[in-house]
Amino acid sequence: MKKIIIILNLLLISQALFAQKLIISKNAPVTFFSSTILEDIEGKSAEGNSVLDLSTRNILFRVRNSSFQFKKKLMQEHFNENYIESEKYPYSTFKGKIVENIDLSKEGTFQVNIQGNLDIHGISKPYQTKATLVIHNGSIDAKTVFKVKVADHQIKVPSLVFKNIAEYVEVRISALYQPKSL
Amino acid sequence: MSTNQLFSQTDLEKELTNNVTGHEKVSATFKSTKLINGHTNETIFKNELDFKVDHRFGDIAGDNGGIRRFFGLDNSTDVRIGFEYGLSDRLSIGIARAKGATEVTQLYEGSIKYRLLEQTTDDYIPVAITIFGSNTIAAVEASDEPTSPIAYQNFRDRMNFVSQIILARKFNSNISFTITPGYVHRNFTAFRDQNDLFTIGAGGRAKISKRMSIVVDYYLPFRNKSDKAYFEEVNGVKFYNPLGVGLEIETGGHVFHMNFTNATAIQEMQYLTQTNSSWLKGQYRWGFSISRRFSFDHQKKDLREKKY
Repeated sequence: MKKIIIILNLLLISQALFAQKLIISKNAPVTFFSSTILEDIEGKSAEGNSVLDLSTRNILFRVRNSSFQFKKKLMQEHFNENYIESEKYPYSTFKGKIVENIDLSKEGTFQVNIQGNLDIHGISKPYQTKATLVIHNGSIDAKTVFKVKVADHQIKVPSLVFKNIAEYVEVRISALYQPKSL
Repeated sequence: MSTNQLFSQTDLEKELTNNVTGHEKVSATFKSTKLINGHTNETIFKNELDFKVDHRFGDIAGDNGGIRRFFGLDNSTDVRIGFEYGLSDRLSIGIARAKGATEVTQLYEGSIKYRLLEQTTDDYIPVAITIFGSNTIAAVEASDEPTSPIAYQNFRDRMNFVSQIILARKFNSNISFTITPGYVHRNFTAFRDQNDLFTIGAGGRAKISKRMSIVVDYYLPFRNKSDKAYFEEVNGVKFYNPLGVGLEIETGGHVFHMNFTNATAIQEMQYLTQTNSSWLKGQYRWGFSISRRFSFDHQKKDLREKKY
């Protein structure tokens, strides 16, 4: 009996290993801009983390909110304390997949659509964006730009600074996925 | 199908590494450089200017309060206008002018504040330590009366020094505390008053909403008994410990305080040494402070375009 279980387990594990070909991206730069007539605000993080499953084309992307750096430190403090509430919601996460059924082992440059849910400030919203993939030598260089509506994620901007913060914030992500080094 | 996808997504999550590099600093232990009377561990960030106006009205109740004095609003015991500038994220310097609440008036203050240690989120450093130093110069005309606190002989007599070590800890996003041991030295005082005083203070902030908090602080000067008794008997002056309670409202760039305190003065060297009014006698007052931060690090619009 024991042996059968072990064999079954082994079979399952090997299947899982076979089914999932994962490539990962560490320390991917994530930048966001808010631009109004009064003020330009830019937050930069170099701590985006992502996993891409080559067989299912599923993507998981996560960035720690308190890793965003601002030129004005008071702004950074306000971002963490009042807007994104980093202590309550430490991460912003995207879960989705590449829509097109493309072969991610083929070399070349591809324009793809990515669809999924983006969780910011504890509020998850469906998103769809275009991305550019450059596949070369087993690694994938992915770049995307999309807009996030601040109000969509229940981030409240007080009326006093309403004109300083844009309604839509532009997010730029550039991630280099590489095979997991074992 | 959907369960299949769920299964693979949770698997992806396992692969994500949390690359928390180093010890992350705790930010915004307090919203302002001061609670009510006393300093917090906060300094002004680099290239930022903090403009702060403090005001204390007259006694709300007691002999000098009540409706005849419009609950103290007819008087102002002290007014202070100050600027603080961040030379770096850790070091700030300040200048201020205060009216001064006792006979020692027309005060000019120069101050320096340095963050020695910053608390980290992982408690690698459990408390923040900031040091504060100030020199306050009284510009009031010297008195001829030799026992007066302003019987200045020379310029040095007009100087007053305060040094404090501010220990602070943010327990969670809502609650922060500070303990502040300090030392006050006045080059010249009234007859039998103490030139040197050790003090200790404690303060705290509790958030009641995202932008509003209750703030409290209390200071205890260690005064020697014989001098204290002399003042009570000869001058009929009693000393009390300054206690402040207030509401802090933060609106992105502005911090507004509404407070009640028995201290008449705003300057450290004065409220620590010369608080002669008591809460129990109705000698507390309404006060407020407004602080506005300006940044001198404006990003040029056209520069941004060049990056991409």
